[in-house]
Amino acid sequence: MSDSVAGSLAAEKNFYQEKTHKGILAWLLSTDHKRIGIMYLFSMLTFFLIAVFLGFLMRLEMLTPGETVMGAHTYNSIFTLHGVLMIFLFIIPGIPAAFGNFMLPLQIGARDVAFPRLNLLSYWFYLTGAILALLSLFTGPGPADTGWTFYAPYSLRTGTNVALAVMAAFILGFSSILTGLNFITTMHRLRAPGMSFFKMPLFCWSLYATGWIQILATPILGITLALVLMERWLGIGVFDPVKGGDPVLYQHLFWIYSHPAVYIMILPAMGILSDIIPTFARRTIFGYKAIAFSSLAIAFVGYLVWGHHMFTSGISDTSRMAFSFLTFLVAIPSAIKVFNWLATLYKGSIDVTPPFLYGISFIILFSIGGLTGLILGALATDIHVHDTYFVVAHFHYVMFGGTGFVFFAALHYWGPKMFGRMFNSKVSYIAWGFLFVGFNMLYFTMFVLGYMGMPRRYYDFLPEFHSLHVVATVGSWILIIGIIIMFVNLYRGFRYGPRATMNPWGGTTLEWKVPTPPPLENFDKIPEVKHEPYYHPRNQEERQ
Amino acid sequence: MSQAAELTMEKHYDPIGSRIGMWLFLFTEFLLFGGLFLLYAIYLNKYPEEFHYGSSQLDQFVGAMNTIILLTSSLTMVLAVGALQRDRRKLSIFFLVTTFTFGAAFLINKYFEWGHKIELGIYPGSQELTQHPQGEIVFYGLYYAMTGLHGLHVIIGMVIMLFLLYFLLKKSHRALSIKSNQIQNLNGKRLLLSDETGKKLWKSQEITSEVTGMDVVVKGVFTEEQLKSSEVKLENSGLYWHLVDIIWIFLFPLFYLVSM
Amino acid sequence: MSGASPTTGAVDSVFIFIVAISLFFLVLITFLMIYFIIKYNKKRHAKAEDIHGNTTLEIIWTVIPTIIVLFMFYFGWKGFEFIRNAPEDSMEVSVTARMWSWLFEYPNGVETDTLYVPVNTPIKLLLNSQDVIHSFYVPAFRIKEDAVPGLQNYLWFEVSKIGEYDVLCAEYCGLQHAYMLTKVKAMPQEKFEEWYEQMRQETQSTYASSDSTQMSIEASPKTSMAGSRLVQTRGCMACHSTDGSKMIGPTFQGLFGREVVLIEDEKEITITADESYIRESIMQPNKKLVKGYNPLMPSQEGQLSDEELNAIVEYLKKL
Ligand code: HEA
Ligand code: HEA
Ligand code: HEC
Ligand code: CUA
Ligand SMILES: [Cu+2]
Repeated sequence: MSDSVAGSLAAEKNFYQEKTHKGILAWLLSTDHKRIGIMYLFSMLTFFLIAVFLGFLMRLEMLTPGETVMGAHTYNSIFTLHGVLMIFLFIIPGIPAAFGNFMLPLQIGARDVAFPRLNLLSYWFYLTGAILALLSLFTGPGPADTGWTFYAPYSLRTGTNVALAVMAAFILGFSSILTGLNFITTMHRLRAPGMSFFKMPLFCWSLYATGWIQILATPILGITLALVLMERWLGIGVFDPVKGGDPVLYQHLFWIYSHPAVYIMILPAMGILSDIIPTFARRTIFGYKAIAFSSLAIAFVGYLVWGHHMFTSGISDTSRMAFSFLTFLVAIPSAIKVFNWLATLYKGSIDVTPPFLYGISFIILFSIGGLTGLILGALATDIHVHDTYFVVAHFHYVMFGGTGFVFFAALHYWGPKMFGRMFNSKVSYIAWGFLFVGFNMLYFTMFVLGYMGMPRRYYDFLPEFHSLHVVATVGSWILIIGIIIMFVNLYRGFRYGPRATMNPWGGTTLEWKVPTPPPLENFDKIPEVKHEPYYHPRNQEERQ
Repeated sequence: MSQAAELTMEKHYDPIGSRIGMWLFLFTEFLLFGGLFLLYAIYLNKYPEEFHYGSSQLDQFVGAMNTIILLTSSLTMVLAVGALQRDRRKLSIFFLVTTFTFGAAFLINKYFEWGHKIELGIYPGSQELTQHPQGEIVFYGLYYAMTGLHGLHVIIGMVIMLFLLYFLLKKSHRALSIKSNQIQNLNGKRLLLSDETGKKLWKSQEITSEVTGMDVVVKGVFTEEQLKSSEVKLENSGLYWHLVDIIWIFLFPLFYLVSM
Repeated sequence: MSGASPTTGAVDSVFIFIVAISLFFLVLITFLMIYFIIKYNKKRHAKAEDIHGNTTLEIIWTVIPTIIVLFMFYFGWKGFEFIRNAPEDSMEVSVTARMWSWLFEYPNGVETDTLYVPVNTPIKLLLNSQDVIHSFYVPAFRIKEDAVPGLQNYLWFEVSKIGEYDVLCAEYCGLQHAYMLTKVKAMPQEKFEEWYEQMRQETQSTYASSDSTQMSIEASPKTSMAGSRLVQTRGCMACHSTDGSKMIGPTFQGLFGREVVLIEDEKEITITADESYIRESIMQPNKKLVKGYNPLMPSQEGQLSDEELNAIVEYLKKL
């Protein structure tokens, strides 16, 4: 047995990778989950930075009434593209495709995902979709101007390049389905010996729940977008009121996907946070099962609440009531998670490192975003704030304050493992200060604007909103400064910083038990798992 | 004295995993059509008369023929899978080709059916159709969208069958490669190939420190796993084909029989 | 509770209720978090304790939020019932939304582009759209409902204070979405009656004269005046100019007798704009498209009476 070279012969795969391709192709054709994860990360960052820049331009336009830097048509295209890039190219694939791909096999003690080639295929789909989305900018009659929601019948009438943007979203949907399917199968089949479902790190649990949403919800988006294309090209009439179609049905189908999609965005972030907190509190998580099951609860109840985006669209009073009721139910699992995280800090031994700081900001920002979600979920108040900046503030708080901040936390937390080098912590704290202040200045203002009645997707505004728009825009500048400092620091760190050790943070999950950066095939020998994921041996010894 | 090194093949092919993956995928396909069925149900409710009238304009006979064709093709697909499981490769190929032919027949039928309607000027966006009541526009919109999408699935299913034929006709081979850092472990040893009973089939030269990497390619159909792999591939394609069939079983009554 | 409309108070009280509870939780969470981070910092508390969980606590923090959100739901729903159910004696005004203007039609046939209402009278608006989805929104009254083509929605309010209130379009509807604004003007009961009666007479007299057949020569200045008012109230000016500038649609200036390149069934045809062409352009605008423009114009079929159409055509001929 000692002669055995098990692990070295995952036959075709190595063969395929090591012999055939060099240079950039060694990346583009690699089926190694780590390489795919890193490719996703960098592609995403690119599109993300473009979208951030668009957001910045929008704020510039809103600084003063009337035309400042762009006309109404450009503004409309820009918020559409900003939304499409952020949602479909960044925040939905975001954590699962980048960090999930890299970390999931490591965390469950596998050499790769269940279908490595499918994984690569899903990256290609992603890239194709992304390129199409960008092409829609420069070709044909100009970028789409419908908002990321593509509401019919406007999306059927406008002369802009909606078809390409819709096609992009359609292909990205495929990419998302394949990732979800792959992860679910991986978790069912490839857990290391001894790793029962309840010994998986909570990040894996969140990916599991996310995978199910991707599978359950994305096909509906696929068919809806396909129908929009058919409407535009052929005029089949199913959403066009002139031809007897019902535009409200479009909204139903769109949100059947897009509400669950918001949980695709948030669940993996919650999972990462559930890994980060025990690491830096030096103790096990409080209420492991409660957190794991609440992920599943969110995934399944989240499937039933789409109607809350349509409270003013003319659906029946009964369905408004039912959707409102279910919306409130879906808030409870999130509350459970928040309380469990807090309890995990209790009697820990807390080390406030950059990943912890960015991660813990999630709790406050997400709570603000989530609690304002309750205002949106209540029928009476949503009637007033629907389609105003209140909603814009809500979703930036949950998406950017929630997922975005945890994304940053993850970059700090796992970055050293992925790139093998350390960043400068001091600079990270400074960047955090700018981010936190700028963020709240930018988006909290929007809550006030929204309640005052400032509608969203407005190129211009009434004079009474001016001063608050100025505050928000200045906030966006502070935020951007923070972003720049943070990225420059990370870039320099991962490029030139001191070498990172195998386990710089004292993490307890399996990804910290392989060398930094992890080798091809991850493990020399598949480990046998004996403990729960957040087992800090030190605590046990000292207590005896 | 050199010692033979044992090459344990990493178990990287997981038939159960493949099946799970396939079922999940089929599930997404159901949901895809599910969205369309939902639309159909809602519009049927909104425009009952127009839908009944529209349906009565479709050719029930052609529809029924196509139903029979697809059902039969599902049967031949099952037979193809069964044949491979019993190791009857040739028979399996025969049934696969039969299934493929049925698929083609279905498409040809569909082509004439659509062609006829288009000749009458009844297609989305046509001058003729815009004169019809709204419910009928929607009916035909859905008719073309749903049967079209289904047709696309038939085509995809057939393409998959072509791939499978290729796999079944091809001689399998297996390549192992040993990387340089692992070669060190094998220094002074030999590679040994043996069958299940332990009979030695082949032995390599002694591996010296000059050897920096190795590829071993073995041709022919030999491992259990290899067989399993094409079997599961065929089985999964079979599942896909049944999906195509089942969806048609829903489409047929919805479009051709509601008028009755 | 005081407010611009009873609906204002109904929404605000629910809002305050939810915000108060949320604030309580937010402060509690933030406080505990910071407190734990300081108290159990590794400097002060070097040895962590593993606590795996506590079922009682889990139950408590599942049940309490559940109860709280059920209350939130209940109040949200009650408030909604109030703003949803218009009083029986409401005055009904039908509203037509189109890119990018509003048209209000009173029970007596008067049409305006600004909503005039008497104070302290419940008003029920019946919403409709000619083209894409819009949303009728009055922030001061905290009410909003979409105007969906092919569907009739409604909302109601009752203005308590004389004044002017902004009406905004809250559903994205294209280029001029941000400028699809108008006002609700609330006047005292008597003044409204007066205005209402005066408008009715004006409307009738315009068409009464253009109705009479023998007066065509005399009537034409009048119909032309009616035409110019109609293109205003019907929202044509959102897309067309009379000064030659190109907007969403071609300019009206010099339209009559101009050579127009049209696209019909993907083929180009060139025609000279005559009366029947103008008529068709208004009633079935998307059948033949002017080259270089998108099929955005809402059809006026069923929206304009014959007299109104005549008036518009007469007016356009003169430009
Ligand atoms: C990451 C994405 C994300 C997440 C996680 C959420 C989470 C929630 N969202 Fe949000 N939402 C969006 C992204 C997201 N949303 C987007 C993008 C839109 C706009 C789309 C568009 O129109 O363009 C939107 C819009 C939106 C609407 C429609 C608004 C409108 O257009 O009128 C509604 C209405 O109900 C809503 C509700 C909620 C609720 C109740 C939650 C809940 O899940 C929140 C649960 C969390 C908490 C409750 C906070 C934590 C708990 C505590 C602090 C403990 C105390 C709690 C209690 C006592 C209950 N959201
Ligand atoms: C993830 C989603 C996301 C993010 C991060 C942002 C970021 C920003 N958004 Fe975003 N926004 C949307 C999603 C997002 N937006 C969506 C979906 C809409 C609706 C579109 C529509 O109506 O159709 C919208 C609409 C929207 C509007 C409303 C437009 C309107 O209705 O008229 C405005 C207005 O100012 C705005 C501003 C900004 C600004 C200034 C930024 C930023 O530029 C601020 C700076 C932010 C950063 C600098 C970094 C954030 C970092 C992360 C999230 C994670 C980092 C991860 C990596 C780097 C890999 N956005
Ligand atoms: C949402 C924008 C919009 C509104 C509102 C609108 N139109 Fe148009 N109109 C267009 C566009 C775009 C075209 C050119 C494309 C076409 O032929 O449909 C057009 C074309 C026309 C033409 C043909 C002009 C030519 O040069 O050949 C006439 C006449 C016309 N409109 C009249 C009207 C009248 C009358 C109204 C109001 C009752 C109106 N329009 C309201 C967008 C609009
Ligand atoms: Cu009309 Cu926005
Ligand atoms: Cu939602």
